[in-house]
Amino acid sequence: MIEVWHLIIGNPILNVLIALSHYLGGSFGMAIIVLTVIVRLLSWPLTKRQLGSTKALQDMQPKMQELQKKHGKNQQKLQQEMMKLYKEAGVNPLGCIWPMLIQLPIWIALYQAIMRALATTPENLLDLARRLYSWSLVNQAIPLSSRFLGLDLGQTGSGNGALGLLLAIAVGGTMWVQQKMTTAPSVDPRQQSTARMMTMMMPLMFGFLTLMFPSGLALYWAVSNVIGIVTQYFVTGGWGYLKLGFPSQPTQ
Amino acid sequence: MTTKQVTVLLLVVVLLLTPVLVSCIPGGVQAARGWAGTAFHDGIVYAGTGDGRVVAIDVATRSHSWYYPTTVPSGGGMSCGPAAAPAAIYTTPLVDGDLVYVGTYSGRVMALNTVARSQGLHFPQRGHGEWEWDCPKNDAASNAIVADLRMRADAIYVSSSNGRVYSLDKSFGDLIWESEVLDRKHGKLWTSPWVEDETVYVSTLDGHIYALSTETGQLRTEPPFAGWPFRSETGFASSPVLDNGIVYVGSFGNNLHAIVVGESELLWEFAGDKWFWADPLVSEGIVYAGCLDGRLYAVRAETGEELWHFETMDAKGRRVPIVSSPVMMGGLLVVVDEAGTVYVFDPAEDLASKGEPWRVISIGADVRSSFCAHEGVVYIRGEDNWLYAVDIDSGEVSWRLSLTAEA
Repeated sequence: MIEVWHLIIGNPILNVLIALSHYLGGSFGMAIIVLTVIVRLLSWPLTKRQLGSTKALQDMQPKMQELQKKHGKNQQKLQQEMMKLYKEAGVNPLGCIWPMLIQLPIWIALYQAIMRALATTPENLLDLARRLYSWSLVNQAIPLSSRFLGLDLGQTGSGNGALGLLLAIAVGGTMWVQQKMTTAPSVDPRQQSTARMMTMMMPLMFGFLTLMFPSGLALYWAVSNVIGIVTQYFVTGGWGYLKLGFPSQPTQ
Repeated sequence: MTTKQVTVLLLVVVLLLTPVLVSCIPGGVQAARGWAGTAFHDGIVYAGTGDGRVVAIDVATRSHSWYYPTTVPSGGGMSCGPAAAPAAIYTTPLVDGDLVYVGTYSGRVMALNTVARSQGLHFPQRGHGEWEWDCPKNDAASNAIVADLRMRADAIYVSSSNGRVYSLDKSFGDLIWESEVLDRKHGKLWTSPWVEDETVYVSTLDGHIYALSTETGQLRTEPPFAGWPFRSETGFASSPVLDNGIVYVGSFGNNLHAIVVGESELLWEFAGDKWFWADPLVSEGIVYAGCLDGRLYAVRAETGEELWHFETMDAKGRRVPIVSSPVMMGGLLVVVDEAGTVYVFDPAEDLASKGEPWRVISIGADVRSSFCAHEGVVYIRGEDNWLYAVDIDSGEVSWRLSLTAEA
């Protein structure tokens, strides 16, 4: 099963990443950025669907707020009316989650490719030989230099000192912006509280992960977040919920 | 409890749990476990183990003579691992009299005295000539010692992952000199130096070969080194091997290179299908090079002409990479593939010229380490941390011993 995974997804991504590094003057950091862009382009149909769901939820907000005013004191009725509204508009409130789940294997493969390509241990370097295609340009690019913009991409964020900390802030910050743009406000106070918590905790968590995982992966997260923000901005035509914010608490 | 309090509580839990979780998540990275090989001296086989021990095995009694567990302090605090982890050992023990020299992945070089270790005395026993030396990081990402140590006269030569070569006094562990950073691109040296006459030869991952003075560590640029450092398009995977004024070295570009000392052009290059990872062996004008493509190549040293090659094969008919360097024992060539099959060639016989081994013996364990041979017996450390004694004449594993069992 693992070998099939490597054959179909893992090894192709690894070899493309190394080949890109060769074409980009041996810059592994640039290769990560370009590969992230390529992956985002290839997954565009899924992203578009995800953004469509987000936009539809955004468009429904006025009606949702009306429902909130009308049934604010009766949570059961409010939920029923909301589901009815989703159904009429043809929107699945979880519609933005499935495309994310489908992209998960690609993210995992990317993560593995970055880690393998950097070959931080001798075992990793030897293991790399098994996974490389016989393209001469791939072999010529090995071993890769892990330096990029003053960062050692094979080192953890904390190991990269002040630059690693900046990267952690960039990852957390871009993730927060992206989440604020895409997280639809809920009229349910409990859901609203959960959403607020997630919007705060996920960027914090990824900021911490940046300090603990190799910076090559954090670079991927930061670039992916920026692409997400730009795409979201142009597809939904603005800053989305970042501008709208959360609706006020319903009166008890 | 209010929503705000729950939020704060969850935040605290997440912040506290994240480091714990991260330290437990297996990623795409293989941990550094080490692949130290074996060395034979005076009836004792020395080896490093996957759990960070230096062990001494008495061949006559087939038992542990002593072992020394290396340790490196872990990060401490919240983690899934033990408080002090063993240090991975990649360097094959280097033996000189009663002293055994070993480098660790944690950046320490140690001189262990066999008498002091047999008695289980506290390390280091200065009176017994024991010492330890910690390689500085010098702003590098790592100070790990991966490549085998070399000895010449009164000095030990050490390649470090901080990109420098160090010369240490073998009696006291004092620093004699350190070179400048030799690989600025990757910042690490994972190949062993070759020391000959007054020169230390170093191959780097970024494709250079440097010649350093054994006295000062300075780059040698006087004749015949005027055309050096040598620069290749591809990085070097193996350590350099010098014979008759020619450096032989394997590359990541799937080639074996021959370079005349001081020349800026290749004498010849020989193409395989994968990296030449193992150090080549030169004997009687022939270069024997194991390749990760699963072939052993015999190449004429002067011209690079292929004389013959041999293909390894596993039970499923697939070629098996050769990671360990070949060894010459009493005129016999011994090669071990990664699946643990030992091939013995007799270069004096016609069979070898056809690329056919005289003996094929399987030890049934993976092998990545270098190995040693003495009086018809090959001593191999398997990745399973057992020592295998392979008798060449009988073509069998005559005995084996767990290296990690308590002495």
